[in-house]
Amino acid sequence: MAQKILIIEDDQFLRELYEELMTSEGYVVETAADGEEGSKKALAGGYDLLVVDIMLPKKDGLDILRDLKAKGSKKPNGKIVLLTNLGQDAVVKEGFSLGAAGYLIKSALTPDQVLHEFRTFLAKE
Amino acid sequence: MEIAAPELNILFVVLLLSVVLIIFLLFQHRKNKEIQEYIDDLAEKKKILSALWKIQQIIVESLEFREVVQRVANAVLLELGQYGYVIIVLSLVDEAKRVLKRISISETEQAKEALKFTPIPFSEIEIPLDADDNYCVKALREKKVVVTNRLSDLLAPVISEHLADRAQEAAGIKTSIVFPISSKEDSKVIGVLIFSINKGEQEITLYEKEIMRGFADAVGITVQNAQLYTSLEETKEKLEVANEKLKELDVLKDEFVSVASHELRTPMTAIKSYLWMALAGKGGDLSDKLQKYLDRAYISTDRLIKLVNDMLNVSRIESGRIEFSRQGADMHYMAEDVAEEVRSRADELGLLISAQMVKELPMAFCDYNKTKEVLMNLVGNSLKFTPKGGKITISFAVRDGMVETSVADTGKGIAPNDIDKLFKKFGLIEQGHFTTTTPSGSGSGLGLYISKNLVELQGGKISVKSEEGRGSTFTFSLPIATDKQIHEFGIYDPQKAIREEIGPGGAGIIPTAHLWEHPTKRVTIDN
Repeated sequence: MAQKILIIEDDQFLRELYEELMTSEGYVVETAADGEEGSKKALAGGYDLLVVDIMLPKKDGLDILRDLKAKGSKKPNGKIVLLTNLGQDAVVKEGFSLGAAGYLIKSALTPDQVLHEFRTFLAKE
Repeated sequence: MEIAAPELNILFVVLLLSVVLIIFLLFQHRKNKEIQEYIDDLAEKKKILSALWKIQQIIVESLEFREVVQRVANAVLLELGQYGYVIIVLSLVDEAKRVLKRISISETEQAKEALKFTPIPFSEIEIPLDADDNYCVKALREKKVVVTNRLSDLLAPVISEHLADRAQEAAGIKTSIVFPISSKEDSKVIGVLIFSINKGEQEITLYEKEIMRGFADAVGITVQNAQLYTSLEETKEKLEVANEKLKELDVLKDEFVSVASHELRTPMTAIKSYLWMALAGKGGDLSDKLQKYLDRAYISTDRLIKLVNDMLNVSRIESGRIEFSRQGADMHYMAEDVAEEVRSRADELGLLISAQMVKELPMAFCDYNKTKEVLMNLVGNSLKFTPKGGKITISFAVRDGMVETSVADTGKGIAPNDIDKLFKKFGLIEQGHFTTTTPSGSGSGLGLYISKNLVELQGGKISVKSEEGRGSTFTFSLPIATDKQIHEFGIYDPQKAIREEIGPGGAGIIPTAHLWEHPTKRVTIDN
């Protein structure tokens, strides 16, 4: 069964790029463009990987993690990866304490490197 | 009756003695009188001195200008009032308006009462500095004490003679003495102190005049100090305002920088990513022309991103917002790490890159990621400036408690005049960094400046040796990690660091030395 991924990223172009990258590799991708929608979907659960941008409108990435920690998702989720554009180091640190398994710096990775990273997180365990 | 000779003698002696005694007593009396005079004199001097002391106290106690001069005037009058001093006025020069302005006035009660009946608004009198007839102006100009028995001389042309005469009579003023007050510093006359007395000029003793001069001097010092203090206060206030503004600007700058960090990078990442996808063939085959156009757009975006990142890094360095997580670091490992990362680029350029190991190289105490940025910068520069077939060698040394890392290349070298400019902001060598079209793109002119700061902030030094046409060797040093430091902070562990550490650049450094591999030079995504 194909693995399911949730991508929460507010920039349309980047969001669609990541979606395209994963879809073309056979993954099932769902997306959310803001923190509220993202939180709802994350809480519904059932994803093998959650890709969460830190800076989001309506609710930021860390708050989504807080929601998950507080309420727990209906269906279990796999790993959480944070997306950052740098300059948010303290925030990323907090992300780890809230359950993130890793982080990616969007501007430093080529599309194939992004794909590689996502797959690495999906592969563990 | 017969007086016996011996009795006569005794009588004579007694008479003589009495005379002597009388003379002696007279003499004593005169002496006593003199002594008493001295005593009275001393008592007076003591009073004046104590009055002067009170003035000193005022000067010391409070520096608020108006308060001080008023208190001084009051104190002076208190001391001199008994001598018939009726009014004491302090007038200072107002340079802007070119007038003598009454600053403070001290009057005895009688004077105050008397003057009520004559409508002279003393406090509002402003004497123009060009009023030659006015005695106050005269005292100012000639820097001499001026005496007059006519109050009108002091008030012309502002107050009519008639009115001044009436006031003079009412207050019982017989003589007025004007003392110029000068600033000790540049002996500029800053005003006058006027004593108006109910005695005639002849009755005023030389001694009293000296005392008045003493007061005038004391007032001069007071005024000067008070004015200095006031101007200091004003300057301090202005500085505080300026400082607040600077702080605001600094906050705004930081906000801008952090917004730029995020906002600029999103579209930059999107541009670069999609260009990459197109060049990697994800959108289909590309004609040669299209390939070329997209290629150039890609390279330019790369340079743009690097420039922005470099500028943001510089801003952070200069704001002191860079933090270092220092640990024991294996420089051999770092050299290999870097060599691996650039190997494919080096191969493309036909350059050989290698690292020379040193036996038992001690660990350096540094922030691994930031130091790696420095090494990447140096290696990157060598890649840029070494022609095909050349060599880049990373080597090590231990000297003076420091671990030295050197990057030597067989490149173009640097002209001696340019060496000074190297580590400065935008201190570019003429042979156009900005005109380069090498795939790794930009010379922002900031790389070495940033490297220098990163090294120096960690307690090290960076230097260069170069010979035009032969090559350059850049060397940076970092302190050797002591056992205590290794015990406390640990050793950099790449396995642990990759996922848990904060950012590949640590607190704040954006990895600009990282080179995105050109999409068309690389095998595309598996399957």
